[in-house]
Amino acid sequence: MRIRLDPWPVDMEGGQLGLKRFEGELIDIETPRWAAVAPKAIPARLGTVYVVDGKRRMESRVFIEDGDGAAGMGGFGAYVVGAVELCPHGTRPATLREVRAQRLLAHAPGLRVDPCLLSPRDPHTGHLQYAPVVADSAEPLAPLHKLQQVMLAAEQELSHGLASRVPFDEGDDREALTALTIQDGTLRSQNLGGAVVGCVKTMQTQYLPPDRAGLLTDLKPGERTPILHMRYENNRITRFIWYVRLCEAAFYQHPMSGVMRLEMYAPEEPDFLPPIVRTVANVSGPLLCRLASQPHKDPRAPQNLIPTAALEHAMTRAMGSADLVTRRLRAHIARELGVAS
Amino acid sequence: MVLGTEDATPVSFWFAVTPGASVGMDDLVAVRTQKPDGSPVHFYGIVDHVRTRHEGVTFDSDVQDVVAGLLPASVSYAARVLVTRVSPENFIPPQPGDEVRHARGEDLRLALSADKMKRSFPGGLLADGQVLPLNYQFVNGEQGGHINISGISGVATKTSYALFLLHAIFRSGVLDTHGEGHRTRALIFNVKGEDLLFLDQPNREVDPVERGVQAAKGLPAGRYDLLGLPASPFRDVQFLAPPKAGAGDVIVPDVEQRSGGVTPFVFSLREFCQRRMLPYVFPDGNASLNLGFVIGNIEEKLARLAAGDDAPYLTVEDWQPDTETLLAEDVRFDEMGKTRIQTFAQLISYLEYKLLEQNDGEGDPKWVLKQNQGTLRAFVRRLRGVQKHLAPLVRGDLTPARAAQYRPDLLKAGVQTSVVDIHKLGAHAQSFVVGVLLRELFEHKERYGRQDTVFVVLDELNKYAPREGDSPIKDVLLDIAERGRSLGIILIGAQQTASEVERRIVSNAAIRVVGRLDLAEAERPEYRFLPQSFRARAGILQPGTMLVSQPDVPNPVLVNYPFPAWATRRDEVAEEVGQGTEDAGNDWLGL
Repeated sequence: MRIRLDPWPVDMEGGQLGLKRFEGELIDIETPRWAAVAPKAIPARLGTVYVVDGKRRMESRVFIEDGDGAAGMGGFGAYVVGAVELCPHGTRPATLREVRAQRLLAHAPGLRVDPCLLSPRDPHTGHLQYAPVVADSAEPLAPLHKLQQVMLAAEQELSHGLASRVPFDEGDDREALTALTIQDGTLRSQNLGGAVVGCVKTMQTQYLPPDRAGLLTDLKPGERTPILHMRYENNRITRFIWYVRLCEAAFYQHPMSGVMRLEMYAPEEPDFLPPIVRTVANVSGPLLCRLASQPHKDPRAPQNLIPTAALEHAMTRAMGSADLVTRRLRAHIARELGVAS
Repeated sequence: MVLGTEDATPVSFWFAVTPGASVGMDDLVAVRTQKPDGSPVHFYGIVDHVRTRHEGVTFDSDVQDVVAGLLPASVSYAARVLVTRVSPENFIPPQPGDEVRHARGEDLRLALSADKMKRSFPGGLLADGQVLPLNYQFVNGEQGGHINISGISGVATKTSYALFLLHAIFRSGVLDTHGEGHRTRALIFNVKGEDLLFLDQPNREVDPVERGVQAAKGLPAGRYDLLGLPASPFRDVQFLAPPKAGAGDVIVPDVEQRSGGVTPFVFSLREFCQRRMLPYVFPDGNASLNLGFVIGNIEEKLARLAAGDDAPYLTVEDWQPDTETLLAEDVRFDEMGKTRIQTFAQLISYLEYKLLEQNDGEGDPKWVLKQNQGTLRAFVRRLRGVQKHLAPLVRGDLTPARAAQYRPDLLKAGVQTSVVDIHKLGAHAQSFVVGVLLRELFEHKERYGRQDTVFVVLDELNKYAPREGDSPIKDVLLDIAERGRSLGIILIGAQQTASEVERRIVSNAAIRVVGRLDLAEAERPEYRFLPQSFRARAGILQPGTMLVSQPDVPNPVLVNYPFPAWATRRDEVAEEVGQGTEDAGNDWLGL
């Protein structure tokens, strides 16, 4: 018997490895030969890499009674999406972009809700503006889902706005890969046409059949598997996927630690591999190895990338102190209700 | 902008430096904050600490990722300010976010409290080329007096800064506004080398050096121009030096580098006795009670002996020296059977006779006063010890006219600066000269009052006024330190280590200056007037840079001062003004 560790901290929900079986459809789109693909150097024309992530926080659940006698659940929420802009060749300092907190007051449908402006007593702490947003249902969790949706939409918009276009037409090869967006986590919504690669840190689903999964263990750092075209069983979402290894697994860890699944948007019909996708796959190994974190700095290393960790930190800061916001909300309500605070 | 992550207090605060701006230590800054009622409060201060760091990173090794362009981080550049002034005096803290500006022009004047100074003179240049004003009223004794300079020898250039201050006082015009320029004088003791014997000669290196500094620092004008001082040597200087050893009528100053313009000085033997100079021969005379008693007694006896005549020599009736042994000392006998004592050696022989030989070794009871022989022998032995150095200085073999001619006259008309060269004398003789001259000056000022300020520049105060023990010279210096300012005697004292100087002398100085210090020395209580960061920095100060603390400004200020415009060595003297040998010869011969 051999027992080895999952590298991720135990208080993190789910380990790095889940290994549910995948019931969808996989097609060899790059090559039928199932073997490691060596990394290629990052081309000089790829000048900019963006690392995009989003973060949300429900600041307070609320119960709303509007002037017409209707009542329902809602929540004050905040979210941030942002990017780290960096040069893959290391010629510029990495900078944060668009890291700004947005706030919304999600509420059950059918209520008349005004925008909420929290003005502080202390002139140094600024104003907080909550825009009303209607949630999809009156369920208690609906405001949180709404917040998540709004955040993902903003993240999606940011990712694609920054990246080069990916042509999904065989005749169109004018677009070159000059800007690539690395998005944290799986790609969640529809393709907007940008060169966006999603980095999935955990392996909850084992997409590969058992005869192919062995390659994941054998990959050397920087190497990748061939690109596959993937279609989920229950819905129509299609993706290009491949795996890269970021670092050697330590002897006490399971052999697939250090391996990361990458995704890009794919057209539904598996007949064409856009050259940009192949380029992205080729550079993904060396690029992610550079961005990979160290275990002593980040418990989710190497999958949690250095810029992602910095971005998460900046986003948390942009939302402000939760304690302070909660206190402001309470003071605001006290003022609205005419209660001395 | 004032930081919000560090405490901002009315006496010290941190501020963030915006990108593109640059702030260094010693920069003067101004902050304006607003009270809730809208009235402004201004803070002025000096930057005593600057730092940069990466913000938003956790690990020291993150710097590699930041440099590699992987990790976004911003450089946080912050500086700490020690507040020197709050105006109006509302000691509220500045608010985080208040804008911090460089203090220039009027702000700078306020930051250094120049508006409180009725009369000021330049004390050097700040790091950014602006002038530091020093309050003259704290120098000349009106509100305070005395200057004390500490620093390691050679690197701290204490004497240079003292001379620069004198130059600034004499030539900046601060004296003229009160019409005292022609009466203010300086007395400088030269204790090291012959450095100060060329004060009246232009320095040929000053122009190239100052041009170089101006270019290196990017100053808009030369440092002398910025300070408003002429780059010229001292005027109206007299140089006094002890004569060379050896008898003879020609009295030649004992200097080597300077060929002319140095006046030798001697005291007549009668003056020595009359004016009670004996105690100054024994700087440690009070160490033993018995010895002090003997000195006091003999001082009294000699004063009586010398009274009633004004010849340079003494005559005694009760001594017939053994001519065999004293042949070399050239004893002369007066016509009336009296013995004439006209050299210092003879005086010692006479005292030896009176104390140890008369009455078959019992001594003259009136002189001995029952002191035991050991003490008396110690007394004579010490006198013999300094005989070599004092013999040329204290003489009875001159005519009264020549004795008067060579009397040191520190307040001679037409002389502004007197340099007394004592570097060749032994330690005891140096103390003797310093003590005697200072006491004469002090007694003169006691009689005539304070109207003419006299600056006394004395290096190595720790030698003349050590913390431990008593000495007559220390008494004079203490008198000057404590009462001198009301009499118009201002001590510009310097020492390597203030911790070894009598505390009252250092603490009486209104203006304190620190050059390079030994770091262990800098932690002693004498330097508590320096904030901690300045004490640490005193260990790395370069020559030509000083930390100056004055009563008007609560924190010391770092200044640099220009290269001396006067020669400090023979080879720095600009050629064309060197004196001809003929003049020199005339000088020596007193023609």
